[in-house]
Amino acid sequence: MNKQEFLAELKAGLAGLPQKDIEDQLNFYSEMIDDRMEEGFSEEKAVSTFGLIDEIVKNLIADTSLIKIAKERINSKTKFNIWEIILLVLGSPIWISILIAAVTVIFSLYISLWSVIVSFWSIFVSFIGASLGMIVGGIIILCKSDFFIGIAMIGVCFILAGLSIFTFYGCKLSTKGILLLTKKTAVCIKNALLKKETA
Amino acid sequence: MDIQLKRGLLDVCVLASIKNEDSYGYKIIKDLNPYVKLSESTLYTILKRLETSNMLTVHTVEYGGRLRKYYHITKNGIKRIEDFKEEWQEVLSIYQFVIKEEER
Repeated sequence: MNKQEFLAELKAGLAGLPQKDIEDQLNFYSEMIDDRMEEGFSEEKAVSTFGLIDEIVKNLIADTSLIKIAKERINSKTKFNIWEIILLVLGSPIWISILIAAVTVIFSLYISLWSVIVSFWSIFVSFIGASLGMIVGGIIILCKSDFFIGIAMIGVCFILAGLSIFTFYGCKLSTKGILLLTKKTAVCIKNALLKKETA
Repeated sequence: MDIQLKRGLLDVCVLASIKNEDSYGYKIIKDLNPYVKLSESTLYTILKRLETSNMLTVHTVEYGGRLRKYYHITKNGIKRIEDFKEEWQEVLSIYQFVIKEEER
């Protein structure tokens, strides 16, 4: 692939991202190619060192914030015709409330996911608290009144401590899982916004 | 290596390479090559990130009939390097201790 082809393909892949970012990237790679050619590399060789265009595009999308992409999407649709404007204005009470409802639903789904995580963590904390209570109570009872009941309580303390350790790993796993899910969703949304532009 | 850790380290690497004199994209990759392999794509995002956080500035210079972007370190960038040196003094002494214990 020569320089022109590479830059054209890169430009196509980046469609939907802010104009300035696309320009900067193209200039950057153009400069890289020229520098390498100066060192004696052929145009083809220079381009091949960059790797796959898909990878480059993926990296830049991951690094561009969701907000920037959404803004660009809105900005590029600059040619609202008069009917769209009238409809938008007339319909605003409706679409605003629908929009708010949609956002609220998504937000509450997200909150419910996190509430599950929070309850896992509270279970973990209660196990720890209970096992502490058991050992303190157990020692007191052991010394003051019934030896065997005291021992039993200390035993329960160890069981609870063990359960809390298991719960801890469960909590860690599920928290990591939800964070990963959030990241992946952000990437999906970004891609969806960008695809709609080029499709 | 942890991705976040590597990102932070590469940022400082790039800053160090432009500390004593302004440099341009390809030269930065070449200078760092014996120490760490940097892809253009990674370097681009690093430079953008450093520019947004005011650790470097960009200016264009004409070279051989075309325009080349040069990167210049700022006071913030220099401070970042100093902080890095301080943080990693401790990491280094811990590393030396671990190695010493391993050899015993």
